[in-house]
Order: sequence, then structure tokens, then C-alpha cells
Amino acid sequence: MTQTVERTVKDDLKRNDLLFQETGCLFGLQDLRRKAEDPGKYEAVWHILLNICNTAWAVGCRVSASPIAVEGGDALWALHLPTGEAVATSKGITAHPGLLAAFIRSLIELDYEKAPGIEHGDVFENNDAHYGGIHPADFDAAIPIYYKGELVAWASGVSHVMDSGAILPGSIGFMNPDSFADGIPVTMEKVGENDQFLPSYEMRIRSRTRMPDWVMGDARGRLAGMITIRDRVIALIDKYGLDYFKDVMQEYVEDSRRYAVSRVKTQGVPGRIRKSNFKDLAMLGKRVIMPQQNVDLLFNLPLEINITPEAKVKFSLRGASGWVPFGQNITPTAIVSALLNAYSHIVGFDMFNSGAVAAWELDEPPPGSWANPYPVNYFAASGVAWAPAVMWMSSLYETFGRVYYTRGFIEEVAAGAGTTMTAEFAGINQLGMYVAGLTLEQASNGAPARGMADGENSAWCIYTPNADFGNAEVSELYYPIVYIGRNVAPDSGGYGKFRGGLGHTAVWMIKNTPGVEYSCGCAGMRSKVVGNHGMYGAYPAWPDRASYAHNTNLKELIDAQQPLVHESGDPVEPDLAKLIKAASMNLNVVAPFVTPEQLVEYDIVIHPISGAQALGDPIERDPETVRDELDQGWTRARIAADVYGVVAKDGKGDWTVDAAATDKKRDEIRNARKARGVPFKDWWQQERKRVQAGEGMADAVKGMWRTSWELSPDYGAEMKAFWQLPDDFTY
Amino acid sequence: MSTYDIAEIEQLVDGQLAWPRVQEIMKDSKDSDRFEKWVAIQQKRVPWKEQILLPLTPALFIVQKGAQRIVKCRCGQEFGDYRVNWKLEALINVRDSEETLSEVYRGREQPDPAWIQVREYCCPGCGTQLEVEAVPRGTPPDFEFLPDLDTYYRDWLGKPLPDKVTFEDKTLDAMRGWST
Repeated sequence: MTQTVERTVKDDLKRNDLLFQETGCLFGLQDLRRKAEDPGKYEAVWHILLNICNTAWAVGCRVSASPIAVEGGDALWALHLPTGEAVATSKGITAHPGLLAAFIRSLIELDYEKAPGIEHGDVFENNDAHYGGIHPADFDAAIPIYYKGELVAWASGVSHVMDSGAILPGSIGFMNPDSFADGIPVTMEKVGENDQFLPSYEMRIRSRTRMPDWVMGDARGRLAGMITIRDRVIALIDKYGLDYFKDVMQEYVEDSRRYAVSRVKTQGVPGRIRKSNFKDLAMLGKRVIMPQQNVDLLFNLPLEINITPEAKVKFSLRGASGWVPFGQNITPTAIVSALLNAYSHIVGFDMFNSGAVAAWELDEPPPGSWANPYPVNYFAASGVAWAPAVMWMSSLYETFGRVYYTRGFIEEVAAGAGTTMTAEFAGINQLGMYVAGLTLEQASNGAPARGMADGENSAWCIYTPNADFGNAEVSELYYPIVYIGRNVAPDSGGYGKFRGGLGHTAVWMIKNTPGVEYSCGCAGMRSKVVGNHGMYGAYPAWPDRASYAHNTNLKELIDAQQPLVHESGDPVEPDLAKLIKAASMNLNVVAPFVTPEQLVEYDIVIHPISGAQALGDPIERDPETVRDELDQGWTRARIAADVYGVVAKDGKGDWTVDAAATDKKRDEIRNARKARGVPFKDWWQQERKRVQAGEGMADAVKGMWRTSWELSPDYGAEMKAFWQLPDDFTY
Repeated sequence: MSTYDIAEIEQLVDGQLAWPRVQEIMKDSKDSDRFEKWVAIQQKRVPWKEQILLPLTPALFIVQKGAQRIVKCRCGQEFGDYRVNWKLEALINVRDSEETLSEVYRGREQPDPAWIQVREYCCPGCGTQLEVEAVPRGTPPDFEFLPDLDTYYRDWLGKPLPDKVTFEDKTLDAMRGWST
């Protein structure tokens, strides 16, 4: 007697992997049959699915409780195949479809079909980086979609909650020393049944987060969005039939893979791309949690891309420096998802989904590095794991821009991205309520310079295409702050023929609180260094530095109707120092940091949000553009003269350019460059001695090189060969 | 498949095309003959005759010079084999002190010179600032792009180049003996 064994989704997963290996096409789809039969219907259903996901986003954000989701839309909903691949996604934080896909795949691989079982109405969730999460504040959730008893899809949702129960308040856990400090874990759990959360889930959130009403509100927002997808997908299947739905769901993913491959082949050039990049984490002497955190660190974020003759894109992090005793370690699974986000910006998609992941490969990052910490330290923290990854991704914009440039697709060229320095407040607000959470300022950087134009000001964000810094009034509603400035920051987009979009500066007055902490957080910023983003001769945008004043005379100034501070002002003589008196004046503070003291009434915080990177030799910038930006206050007289080489005269805010004098000055600058520049070989011979002696190198620099060489010996060997140093040389 | 007049591509390259039209070009399917038009535009603008094989940056080109493929500046300055990082033939100016950094970055805007140095690579011929690097001491200069030219021309464009060279980074070979 033959026993019938029921086919599982796990069986399908194995079969799909095998078919891809055998055919090079996802699901073995060498033809897109449904697309070929009726392309109009195929396209129409695709747009219905997109609309379903975006409806889920609208519903989910509105049901959510926190300003991060409600005002900022820092969330995403998606539709997946039964085996996990994301098919269609909403707008929102597009760094997540890869994570959500990996989460669902893990449920299948870990035999959740058998135990605890996957039933209609179940809710699964994960925020644990050890099992495919990114950082504890991002809760990844999924519900199965059954049609007449068959699992036909999944709906997923993710949102960034205000407090993840970490060792310090808030959601940007850069200070977490280890995973035990990361906060509330939800580890691949069934957290709900019958479309309701289990009591134990809510009880845990109530006992282990500081803002349980808002965290639960966001959970209900995720669930509402997912149920919206489920109900509408079932209606769609009723209309178009199950066979058609199942076929096109797979075809959309394979179609996306083909698009990614063909775009590289038709718009790129094969070869090897390299870009070094670095990010600091200077914590020596600051408020920290554990003794081992009293240290300055520098991250090595190297990017190598090889575009093969078959247009396959291979990424490598060879040379990445070691894991850190802070919440800034990320896993390879999360990096793949981050790459998908960057790819969505750079390579672009008609159909943004998991298909593109099959068009590229990521070499395993060096075990023990910030990009793959667990093989060496299983308890490395990931409180804000995005931080190094988004800086690394910034190189992807520039490097792909360089490739597109060679092929002539100048309209696709972008320089490097802005940084992500966050502001969180924790304390009692004007309603007498304890709050801990993020403002939305960081979600609106300048956009990278284009190949033929400046970047847009305050209109772009690396982790979401939905750049939105929210309404000031909404942040004022939640946190005990009053905006006294929110201004474009002049010259904050680097210096080049085309500058990056400018960032902005928020100036806050602390108000209506007995005391509040300000956390100037790192979700991907630089403060000691600038980004290695001098594309085609431009200078990179300056470092991120905040300022604050404690126990000020602001009330007296307001009562006397005297000028207040509304922007950063001059970098050497800042407005804060010129206009305000304070018992404790903290100018030019190297970030990240948490204020060691509670800020009180009429204290001031000046928090900059970076612009993006520039492109081209600055002295090739159109003098009339410089004049226009002098008029608008977007560039400063010294930069116009010394960096752009423009001779202009101030007519009280109405500038005029002397074209002949500008030409002459630019010739002088070119001649001065030739006069002071030294042949590379001569410089190399002197520099080699300094490198060997470790001269003029902070300990953080030496420590970075040491771990990079230990973790990637071939990278170290190549670097030592360049400087012609002994093989066993180290710091 | 879209196609554009070469004059319109030239306007695009020069930043003279109206933004709504640029957006249309960005959204449309790409033109398959862009590379040919792109090279023609660049070739017309340089004062020398060698065939451009690949524009690398706004100032630098890989060109066919006799039997060699070299990097050449728009001004005519030559930087040698394209498989060697062209920076080895550039002039370099390094800002690694507060004083030298202050010419560009001042006060709150200045990075820490013990953590980072700003390297300016300049053409010895025309003084164009070709690239700027901001890296900690010890970082080898980025070799930003080493194209696989033969594969590109033969397999991707269907127009093989007359000669074939190996696809390899020859930078370290070019530096042999520098420390002695």
C-alpha cells in the first residue's frame, strides 16, 4: 500500500532553489507565459497589487499610534509568495522587503508548517537580528493568506516603533553594548491567532517597553495593513482565478530579475569597481554604559563590485573592520535587504521585488566584522544596525553613477548620499506624560548631485524613497520642544560643479518639561571624518556636528524681545555663542552622544541634517549659479570666492559677478594647484614612511587597519604590497 | 525603444535640457545608441585625434593610442596604461593639518586630520581637479573603475576591438622598485 505524503511549502522552496540552479530563471520560468498571452491584463493586475499594498500602507499608518508611522510613514507593507519572495510592496521603508522575505522563508525552513503550524488568522513576528531581523525597533510581521484551504501568499508589514525596550530610551540604540541591551526580543514567534494578538504578546510589550500604548498601537497598525492586503487579495483571486494569480505572482518576480540584469547590460560596462569609505564612532570620554565603550573607533566600509560578462553583479565587503561594542553591527541577511533598497534607487525597477536579489551575489562579509559579527561574537549588539550599512550603501550610488557615466547615461548619475544623524528626546512632556522617541528630521536629506544638475534640497533619504521630515507641529505635540528654527543649511551639499542637495538645521527650545534627555544618535553619520565622496574632483560634504546650550538666558531674551538663535551660523563664530549666554555651552560637539545632563526649560539644541554629495571640479561651477545662491543665502561669500573661484560683489544681498575677474581667478587657482601638487611617486615615498611609522594617525585609524587586515588577510596583503611593507607589518 | 537626436543628448550632457524633458528621458526606456552618440559628442570636443574607447570622467578618457589603450585628459595630458591607476601619474596635494584643511573646511565644518586626510589629484597639464579622496592615512588611492573593455566591446556592443589585452590591474606592477 502506497502512503501519500502531503507536499509542503518547504518542498516547494527546495524545488524552486533547484530550478533556479538548473535554468538560471526563478521558478524555472524560461518563458513568461501569462505576460506573453495578455500583457495588458498582466500589467493591470500588477498595478492592482501595488494599489493593494499602498492601501495597506495608508490604513496601517493611520491605525498606528506613533508619529514615526502616522506622520513619517516609517513603515512598509508587502505581498509575498508562499515561499517568501516579495512580489509587490507599498511605498515606505524599502530597505525591508528583503528582510520580510527572509523572515517568511525562515518560517518555512524552520518547519513552522508542522509546529506551531500556520493557520488562517495567525500573526507571526520577528525583530531578532539573530534570526533575520535588522534592529529591535523594526518589528517585521507576516500573516498567511489562504484561499480555499491552500496557502497562496503572505502579507507582511513592518514599522519602526518609538521604544524597543533597550538599555537607553528610544529606538536608535547606538549605545547598546551587546544584544542583551538591545531590548525586547520577538523571536520568530506566533504572536496572534484569529486576527488578534495573544495576551502574552501585549503583556510583554507592556512590561518591557517604555511606551507600550504606542508600541501596541503600531502593532495594530501593522496587523490592520496586513489584513487589508489579505482581504483584497482574496477578492482579486475571486475575480481573476487562482491559477492566474499563482502564475503571475511568480512571473512578476522573475520579470524583475530579468529587468535588473538587462538594465546592467544595456546601461553599464563590465569591470571592477572599487570605493573606500569610512565612518567614525568617537566615544572616548563620553557618557557610555560599559567600560569597553570608552573608546574611539573607525569603521572600514570598503566596496568592491565586479560586473561579470554575464551582467551579474557581485558585491564584496573584503576588508571590513571588526565588530564594535555598540549597536552598530549588522548581519549579512540584513545587508542583502539594504542592498535591495539601494538597488531600487540606483538600478530602478518597473517591478520592485525580490527578483533583483537573484541578479546579484554578495560574498560572505568577513566573519567577525561589523557586517558579519556572529561567527566571532554571537552577542554583538544591533540596536541601530543600519548605521554602517547605509554609509556603505552610499558608495553604491556613486559607483553605479560612475558606470552609468561611462556609458553616457548622464541622467542616471548620482553622487554619494547624505548621512543619518538622529535626534531623540526622552523625558516628561507638556502633558505630564513620559515620552521617548525620534523626531523625523533625519528622513529628509539633500539629494545627491546629478550628472548634469545640483541635487534637490531636503527632499531625499537613503533608507526610504518617501523622504518626509513631518510637520514641526506634530513633533511639538509629542515632545517638549518648540521649533525656533528649521532652515536650509548653506553649503551643506559639498562643493562641486554640481553640489549635493542642501540639508537643513533644526533649532529647538526645550519647553514645558521638568527635564528631558537629548540623544544625538548615529543611524549612519560621520563626525570626525567626511565621506570619501569627492566625485570627479568635488569636495565632500562636511561632518555632522551638533550643539546645545544648557541653563540659558533665552527667557530673558524672549521677554526683552531680543534676537534669538535660529540657525547654526558661522562655523568659527556660531550664532549660539554670539547670541546666547548659558551656564553650559556645548558647541561643535562630535556626535553621537547622549546629553550627560537633563535639559531643562529654555535650553537650546541645534541639530543639523546633512546634505548629499557633490560632483565635478568646483571651479567649473557656473558663476551665475553661484551668484544666485549668494542671493538666496545658500552659499557663503568665502566659499564662493575661495572654493568656487567666483569674484562677486555684494550689493546688500543682490550680488553681481565679475566674469573676467572670475576667469582670471580660476586660472590662478589652476596654476596654484599645479605649483603645489607633487608627483604621486614623490608623495608616495614620503607618505610610505609616515604610514610605516603610524605618524599622524589616531589610534582609531590604526585599530581599524589592524582588524581589517586580521579579518581579510588578502585585503591586508594587497594594501601592504601597495606600500611595499613587510608581510607581517601591523599596528 | 527610445531614440534621441544627438543635439538633444548634447543639451542633456551640458545641463541645458529643461527638467521636465530630462524627467521624460529618465522615465522612458533607454536609447540603445546612446554610447555611440556619447562618444561622438566627447570626441568632437577634445583637441586630439585618438579614438575614445570609454569616457571615464568629465576630464579623463580611455583612448586607443597606436597599439596601446591609455588614459588621456581632455587637455592632452597622458596618464599611461588604463589598467594602471591613473592617479600614479597625477599631481597630488594632501590636506592633513588644521591649517591646510582650513582653506576648505573651517571650525565646526572641519574634519579631524588625525582621522582623515583630504587628497586632491590634479592634472599636470591643465590643473583640473580630477578627483578628491577623503581617507585615513594608509588608504591606497581608489582605483575607481577598471573596465573589462574587450568583453564590453565584443559581447555587449557586438563590436570587438582589433586587439585584445588581459583584464587585470597592473598598478602594483607599475610601482615595482619605488621603495628602493
